[in-house]
Amino acid sequence: MKTLVWICLIVISLLSLFPFYIMIVMSTHVTEDLFKGIPILPGDYLGENLHTVLRSDFLRVYGNSLTVSIAAVALAVLTSTLVGYAVAKFEFRGRKWLQLFVILTMMVPTQVGLIGYIIEMRHLGVGNTLWPVILVWAAFPFGGFFMIQFIRDSIPTDLLECARIDGCSEPGIFARIVLPIIKPGLATLATLVFLWSWNNYLLPLVTINKANWYTLPVFISNLGIVHRTDYAARMAALTMSTVPVLILFILGSRTFMKGLTAGAVKG
Amino acid sequence: MWPYLFSLPFVAAYAAFQLYPVIYSFVLSLHDWNGIGAKTYIGFKNYVQLWSHDPLFVKSLWNTLIMMAMFIPVTLILGLLLAYWTFHLVRGKKLIQTINVLPYITTPVAIGFIFSYLFDWQTGLVNLLLVKFGWVQEGVYWLQNPWSSRAVIALMVIWRNLGYFMIIYMAGMTVIPQDVYEAAKVDGSSGFHTFRKITMPLLRNISVFLVVTSVINGLQLFDEPKLLYGGWSGSVQVGGPDNTALTMIWRFVDVSFISDTRFGYASAIAYSLFLLIVVFSMLSYRLTAPKEDQR
Repeated sequence: MKTLVWICLIVISLLSLFPFYIMIVMSTHVTEDLFKGIPILPGDYLGENLHTVLRSDFLRVYGNSLTVSIAAVALAVLTSTLVGYAVAKFEFRGRKWLQLFVILTMMVPTQVGLIGYIIEMRHLGVGNTLWPVILVWAAFPFGGFFMIQFIRDSIPTDLLECARIDGCSEPGIFARIVLPIIKPGLATLATLVFLWSWNNYLLPLVTINKANWYTLPVFISNLGIVHRTDYAARMAALTMSTVPVLILFILGSRTFMKGLTAGAVKG
Repeated sequence: MWPYLFSLPFVAAYAAFQLYPVIYSFVLSLHDWNGIGAKTYIGFKNYVQLWSHDPLFVKSLWNTLIMMAMFIPVTLILGLLLAYWTFHLVRGKKLIQTINVLPYITTPVAIGFIFSYLFDWQTGLVNLLLVKFGWVQEGVYWLQNPWSSRAVIALMVIWRNLGYFMIIYMAGMTVIPQDVYEAAKVDGSSGFHTFRKITMPLLRNISVFLVVTSVINGLQLFDEPKLLYGGWSGSVQVGGPDNTALTMIWRFVDVSFISDTRFGYASAIAYSLFLLIVVFSMLSYRLTAPKEDQR
């Protein structure tokens, strides 16, 4: 029985890894060789393929994606933490309403307002830039919800009272007491926002149609038109855009898993 | 004063970048507008047109539901099994978990590319292997046949989400107190019986969460089908063979940004989708939640 379970687990895990393996192997071959046989073993053409990819706009696109994700993380984490702190640790008129508001906002899918959002962005004069892809993260409902829970559970109210009695200002309390304590929560939220904004495809697809503002997902999905025949180079581009994220994930897998499961187990 | 100041950025940003667009889209859905010319108010005509005279919309809804019926049960069952097996491992727990979550982290774009390569008729690895081992005479037209194309899309979703379901279930299992299992063992329960009578019922809430969220996300299926057909072959065809892979969001995006700019009509699609999401998520909650939780 035990061996059977192990065999099943190994087979499923191999199936999980297999497409990645194929992707990497294909990016190490000359395109013509890909169709002569079944590419199972790595070739020695990786350098050339990477070179082809780098000759295109790949680095700039990479830069765009990084800009978007870093800005998204900064914005989302900042606004979520502030609202989370207010709802979790203050008594004020409208607190209950605010909490309900955050929960309700979580249920509205972003696609519903997509057209309105794009028209709004055009009116603001930032239609065809990176701004629409960043600003959508300025208010991240899940983030707000997550931070309310996290701050409520991790910061003792007495501590805040003590600081107030000692004459510490409110921004001072937030910066010097609250932020250091909730560092793990910040890390979790940041990794999630980074991941989701990095992988986002629909929004940049419909907002950006200028090649120099492409983000990675849109750029890659358009590669078919650029390198029509160079399949190996396309696979190399895919490898370069997925593998760094995968490595980042493996390094921080503890934080990641915590974040992914955060919403579910609490209910 | 301070709590209001702290909440302000979030509330203001939400109002500006999400609430306003949502309301504006609703207003648009009552108009006939191509994005450039004048808007004409037409009341609920867009909705009437959509639900009674648009076979493609109805088909896209149907397609989405069929694909959901394919991937939700499979992911749920496999995810639970995988979690159960992995949870009781002595060694390698972490490794199996990490490996299986990798697909979930990957950009859907990459997944679309890889799968459209794997299932390509001429150059795809799946056909090459099938032919090589002599199981079929000639390659199968995976992506040209209505049912197999839907199945491939479902497979992509399963492949991507399985690890996620697994870690969610495992997180749920850590919450189950161990003495429940001890007691079951004393009473002579073991293996499959324990799994069915103890583990599964105690994970009920997790299953409800997973079903409801995958219904919500499933109705918004877009990346996988779009990229499966726009990936490897680089084609710009919409909807797959005879529109059998067309999902609601794909239809929405196509009407508003790709083939056309019928913003009013597309907004009506978006709102209908929103309505469907509300209805289906409540329905799936009702069907899966334990009786005493239903209100």
